[in-house]
Amino acid sequence: MSYTPYREPFSAWNKLILAYRRHSGSWAYILHRLTGIGLVAYLFIHIWALSSLTHGRAAFAEEMKTFTTPPFKVGEWLLGALVMFHAFNGIRIAVVDLANGAKYHKKLLGAVWVTGVAVVVLMFFLIFSTDLFAK
Amino acid sequence: MTDRNPGLSENDRCYTCMTATFRIQRYNPEKDAKPYFKDYTLTDLDPTFRVLDALHEIKWKIDGTLTFRRSCAHGMCGSDGVRINGKNGLACAVLLKDINTSKPIVIEPLPFLPIIKDLTVDQSDFFRKYEMIKPYLITHEPPPQMERLQSPEDAELLMEPTKCIMCACCTTSCPSLWSNENYLGPAAILRGFRFAFDSRDEAPEDHMAAMDSQDGVWRCHTIFNCVEACPKEINITWHISQVKKQLVTMEL
Ligand code: SF4
Ligand code: SF4
Ligand code: FES
Repeated sequence: MSYTPYREPFSAWNKLILAYRRHSGSWAYILHRLTGIGLVAYLFIHIWALSSLTHGRAAFAEEMKTFTTPPFKVGEWLLGALVMFHAFNGIRIAVVDLANGAKYHKKLLGAVWVTGVAVVVLMFFLIFSTDLFAK
Repeated sequence: MTDRNPGLSENDRCYTCMTATFRIQRYNPEKDAKPYFKDYTLTDLDPTFRVLDALHEIKWKIDGTLTFRRSCAHGMCGSDGVRINGKNGLACAVLLKDINTSKPIVIEPLPFLPIIKDLTVDQSDFFRKYEMIKPYLITHEPPPQMERLQSPEDAELLMEPTKCIMCACCTTSCPSLWSNENYLGPAAILRGFRFAFDSRDEAPEDHMAAMDSQDGVWRCHTIFNCVEACPKEINITWHISQVKKQLVTMEL
């Protein structure tokens, strides 16, 4: 007697990452991937923005002026938040892989959030201090 | 006709009777093109019943065609791994009171492996990868007259990985495996650790070879799905990280 075992199509597995029960570790993984993609995208925008340098000093200075407007500052702050998560979680992954972090990975993730949020709040004051406290 | 599978006996009656619906993934290779879900409602359930008890009730009293594997029914043989409410686990080790029974309880076969029928999967791929790490003690010396001795400290290191019952809950929960079907998977690596880190083994590099390949430990992205799924509460990722660390230091 023969039978045909059923195999899920390959495309089903991406969906499974979201459908399988999530916990702190899989959330960290998903966020690490998403912030990683976000940072690569930013890198391209960054290099594209720098290309105004080829049009001379004045063009560059003009462009820099737009980057000091509030919407760009908010964007910069959010970008900083992505960097913070990716950087701190990167340290967490290194501790898991090269030390004994697998035994306390949930606490490590807690530390990632606490330090990350603290730095992001600090960045808020650094970035917006001129707008907030300037007379 | 005598009732060979009488189901729950008089002594097993529920004390806090409850009703629950089980949404079970069915697939008959002779009839169905694709798996589908079917609901079964059971009354007279006790919160201390295990998911396996419910599967038995359904098979014995409602629908005899429901197919699933089980043998020991006590968390020792590793044959009844299924996905319960989105998470892998042993049907015989998950109690109804520990899962959400207010909505239909979704029971699917373990992900990734081909489905033979209903909840029964083909585990060949899982065991093929297990064999790749050479799951046996490799020695060159002739065996001593008595047993091969090991210090209590060296034995302690193997306590956790030897608890593994090869149920495949971990490996089939691993997103790295879903996206790369050649990945060895946590269960095989855990077994690789068990031999490569055994003080009596004389060829750890033979076990390490498969784990150091491009489909070995480096595919583990420390997602911890395996640890969450393991019914024996083994910290598999810690053992994988020790293999990684060992390989890194060896290569330096
Ligand atoms: S920790 Fe590694 S082996 Fe375990 S599920 Fe995650 S990627 Fe897979
Ligand atoms: S490590 Fe745990 S989940 Fe994986 S096969 Fe062994 S007992 Fe099952
Ligand atoms: S039936 Fe043996 S482990 Fe569940």
